[in-house]
Amino acid sequence: MKDFRELETEIKKASDKFTNIESINEFRIKFLGKKGIISLEMKELASLSGDERKQHAEKLNKIKDSVLEIIASKTEELNSEELEKKLNSETLDITLSTSKSYGTIHPISQVIEEVITIFGDLDFFVAEGPEVETDYNNFTALNTSEHHPARQMHDTFYVETETDGMPNVLRTHTSPVQIRSMLKQKPPIRLIAPGKTFRCDNDQTHSPMFHQVEGLVIDQESNMSHLKGCLEIFLKTFFETDKLNMRFRPSHFPFTEPSAEVDIGYTKKGNQLIIGEGEDWLEILGCGMVHPNVLENVNINANEYQGYAFGMGIERLAMLKYGISDLRTFFDSDLRWNKHYGFSPLNIPSIIGDLS
Amino acid sequence: MKFSYSWLTEHLKTNAHFEEIEKKLTSIGLEVEDIQDTGKAYKDFIVGQVLEEKKHPNADKLKLCKVDIGKEKVDVVCGAPNVEKGMKVVYAPVGSTIPVNQMKIKAAKIRGVESYGMMCSEYELGISNEHDGIIRLEEKETIGTSFSEIYGLNDIVIEIGITPNRQDCLGVKGIARDLASAGMGELLERKISREKGSFKSPIKIEIQDNTICSAFAGRYFRNVKNTESPEWLKNKLKSIGLRPISALVDITNFVMYDENRPLHVYDADKIDGKIIVRKANDGESFLALDDKDYHLKNGMCVIADEKKVLGLGGIMGGESTGCSTETKNVLLESALFDEINTAKTGRNLSILSDARYRFERGIDPNSTLKGIDLATQLILEICGGECSEVELAGNIKENKNEVSTSSSYISRRLGFEVSDKELISILSSLGIETSQTGDVIKCSIPSWRQDIHGEADISEEVIRIKGYENIPTSNIRLKSKINKNILNYAQKKLMKARHFIASIEYDELVTFSFTDSKNCEVFGDINKLKIVNPISEELDILRPNLLPNLLQAIKKNKKRNFDSFSIFEIGSQYRSTSPEDQLNVACGIKSGIKTEKSWKNMQTEFDIYDVKQDLTSLIDYLMPGNKKISVSNDCPSWYHPGRSGSIKINNSVIAGYFGELHPRVANQFKIKNKTNIFELYLDELPNIEKKTTNKPVLNLSDFQIVTRDFAFVIDKKVKSEEVVTSAFKVDKELIRNVEIFDLFEDDSLGKDKKSIAIKVTLQSNEKTLADNDISEISSKLIESVKKSTSGTVRS
Repeated sequence: MKDFRELETEIKKASDKFTNIESINEFRIKFLGKKGIISLEMKELASLSGDERKQHAEKLNKIKDSVLEIIASKTEELNSEELEKKLNSETLDITLSTSKSYGTIHPISQVIEEVITIFGDLDFFVAEGPEVETDYNNFTALNTSEHHPARQMHDTFYVETETDGMPNVLRTHTSPVQIRSMLKQKPPIRLIAPGKTFRCDNDQTHSPMFHQVEGLVIDQESNMSHLKGCLEIFLKTFFETDKLNMRFRPSHFPFTEPSAEVDIGYTKKGNQLIIGEGEDWLEILGCGMVHPNVLENVNINANEYQGYAFGMGIERLAMLKYGISDLRTFFDSDLRWNKHYGFSPLNIPSIIGDLS
Repeated sequence: MKFSYSWLTEHLKTNAHFEEIEKKLTSIGLEVEDIQDTGKAYKDFIVGQVLEEKKHPNADKLKLCKVDIGKEKVDVVCGAPNVEKGMKVVYAPVGSTIPVNQMKIKAAKIRGVESYGMMCSEYELGISNEHDGIIRLEEKETIGTSFSEIYGLNDIVIEIGITPNRQDCLGVKGIARDLASAGMGELLERKISREKGSFKSPIKIEIQDNTICSAFAGRYFRNVKNTESPEWLKNKLKSIGLRPISALVDITNFVMYDENRPLHVYDADKIDGKIIVRKANDGESFLALDDKDYHLKNGMCVIADEKKVLGLGGIMGGESTGCSTETKNVLLESALFDEINTAKTGRNLSILSDARYRFERGIDPNSTLKGIDLATQLILEICGGECSEVELAGNIKENKNEVSTSSSYISRRLGFEVSDKELISILSSLGIETSQTGDVIKCSIPSWRQDIHGEADISEEVIRIKGYENIPTSNIRLKSKINKNILNYAQKKLMKARHFIASIEYDELVTFSFTDSKNCEVFGDINKLKIVNPISEELDILRPNLLPNLLQAIKKNKKRNFDSFSIFEIGSQYRSTSPEDQLNVACGIKSGIKTEKSWKNMQTEFDIYDVKQDLTSLIDYLMPGNKKISVSNDCPSWYHPGRSGSIKINNSVIAGYFGELHPRVANQFKIKNKTNIFELYLDELPNIEKKTTNKPVLNLSDFQIVTRDFAFVIDKKVKSEEVVTSAFKVDKELIRNVEIFDLFEDDSLGKDKKSIAIKVTLQSNEKTLADNDISEISSKLIESVKKSTSGTVRS
């Protein structure tokens, strides 16, 4: 009976000499190739008989398995050595960088979207009107007759076109949207109307174009206490503060009665304005109960319906919230300013995400 | 409206602290805008007397003085030319602050001599422009007393903002009355004697048109002396910033600020015949007291005599009958002029005067005769003389407003319960008389409140006096929604566009809706866009396009060293100045450096394909789903004709443009870099109504994908898009994608020829494509492209 001790020794000897993938290949051919030692031995099995063949076959198969195992493990070993070597040579300077930038959203747009988000959550919809308005919508329908002293407080821009014999104007406030909306829609009404407004005034604290947002609620019960509640939620949410000192004081707008101006408390810490707390007051908006004459001008029965309206300056909100000190810089198109005060386009104000 | 605290207390008996009054003023709608405590500012300044005066040893113009200030005698170096021994002066001690320049007085050596304190001029104290010498006080003043007492400056001056409805508070008395209503004390009635007059006025009064002036009361005074006003009157006027002129003028000003009653005095000797109140005629003119000539128009209210115009009723008197120190006989006027006529005239002639301000807001008719009485008392007291009986033309109609309301109406409007009792009590504190029948409370509005016309006005009075801080806060969240959408489709489109454009590197700008007509001829009809009263010549029209202002922005920022621009604006541009003739447009500009030269990249510049890609991907974002976008060459004149395209959606409307700015326009704006722009007319993008929230069915094929490349030589003028579309249409099912991967122009191809290479992707939903399937479709494709482009296959 043949013992394969010699063969095993030879395998052991050959397997110690592996240096690379080629030598493993040679090793495989030497023992397992068509004319390999093990392959030839296998062929010879046919000439044996009975028990002897069985015993030889068993032994040979064991030896074959051991050769395959050596090939697999040595291949793996060499591959990882090679990879290690390659990795050591493959380095990049990670301090070099490339840049990818986004553009910016203008603070006016940002604040308008914040305002819409807050009021949208309170079931207001966004109404619109044109920037060139009729004298009637901008003044008369809002209970401001032609010679009302309040008209002189609006430095109105006039254009050359006319409606019903009166020159059209660049709207001096967003309030005419109230008129357009009430003519289109029956109560209940809950709307806000953000947009551009114009006054013929240009100095340190006035810009001939600025932005306002108007609010209007008309139904059968909304009263001064709802107005107060509405503005309180809005201001707290907008300024992202739980503490908010708010003061209503009497004022006058021809289209509301009673009318109020609203102040919020603030303190100054260094250069920073802290909104909400403190003994000093900042005027933030005007509001009041819609004047019955206005309702009658849009054919809403003032005995059945009532409600409130408010209006505030978008730039003022932006300046207070984001610490922008000069009104006129909003429209100056200084890209350094835009890149500094602008907002990420991916930061859309939302109820689930952040407001700002 | 300015007034002093001491003046207020002539009308208001109060125990309240000043701080309480200050708070109350704001809380009843008389917003305190400024407070100046002059007593505080002058508290350190006292009366001193110069005991000795000699020359400074080291300076010719300076003098060494010894000044007695009561408790001690101090040395003061003084440079005033009028300082002399024995003179009573205003002394500012060490530690005090000079009002005019906020300089703090320190003990100091002046040219080697110690000086303690300073002697002041009126200028240094901030009370006049007199700075030629120091103040010389009267002999009788006591050394050591406070200077502010002598000058009547020991007071607090309050400035409040008066809203246009509160005409009743344009006099100190009205303010006191409102404070008394709000519980701050008791209103004091001034004791005014009623002179009957000892003779009939020689000057008759005729009102020709009672629509412009309903009543005119006149009183004649003879043998008056128009002297300087007494100190108390001068100080009162000075305290509220008015310049004393002469007793007669000062008295009328005093009555106006005290009782809210404008008056006028005429030099009666300069009036020819009677006074006629009438409408002006076109072409009339007169010289007013402000030294300006006014040309009058038909319908303006004038006060005239038989020969000339004397003044504009309720606005301003004239020079011809103005009072001087020589004036002996005068006519005092107290009249009721029409609000609207006064407002119109004032606006037309651009005259701002205290009288106009009051008349156009409405004057208490009851003040007509009261004003005459108060002024009479003061004229007789200060100027002497005798007065006539009052001559009254027209009627003083009280026009008492009556308003009916109920506590339930007031409660419903204010949002908390107001009882009948509380309502009536608040109204009565305001001088509103009430009578109750069932639930209805009838209110009789006093003549001084011209602004209360209806129930809503009553609700404001109630909450004003009760205090706005007492309004409760109610929840406004609703049980069921009343609005389906917060934003409509068009509004969402604007917001989405804004965020998308900013996400592809553009910075959003907001520029004026106005622009300079000089730069805009190419963009629209500037004659249809004019603003009648522009803020400046450079902002004289509504913008016909967003570009001009954005191009200006580029020019400005170049100066700030920017060399890469990606800017955009979304806003309206205008076709005309008719309402609603405005369009929503998104306009973007990419100009200058696209990628900076770096260790990795070569420097590249933006070109029209950047803005084309931005525009088409924007449209894709705003209008997802199937649509046909086609490009053609027809662009407006501000685009480079060979390097621009218009974008049509579904072969119908043009939704936007992209391309290079026309070199002529670029030149006009002095921009040298190539400027690539896109414009998207957002209103033109068809609104897509979402019919279902389901997405379209997804069909996926797992059969093998095959790609084949083809190259064609075609005329340069043939659009490359033609190759792509003619390849696609060969088999819409099998051809999944066609892409141009090479564009090559060379003379070797032939003159005016170019080579376009496309990669075509094929895949079947049913089987793996066999060689013959592929060659069949390939030859069909080649035929189709050759046919539609008249090209050849490049060999």
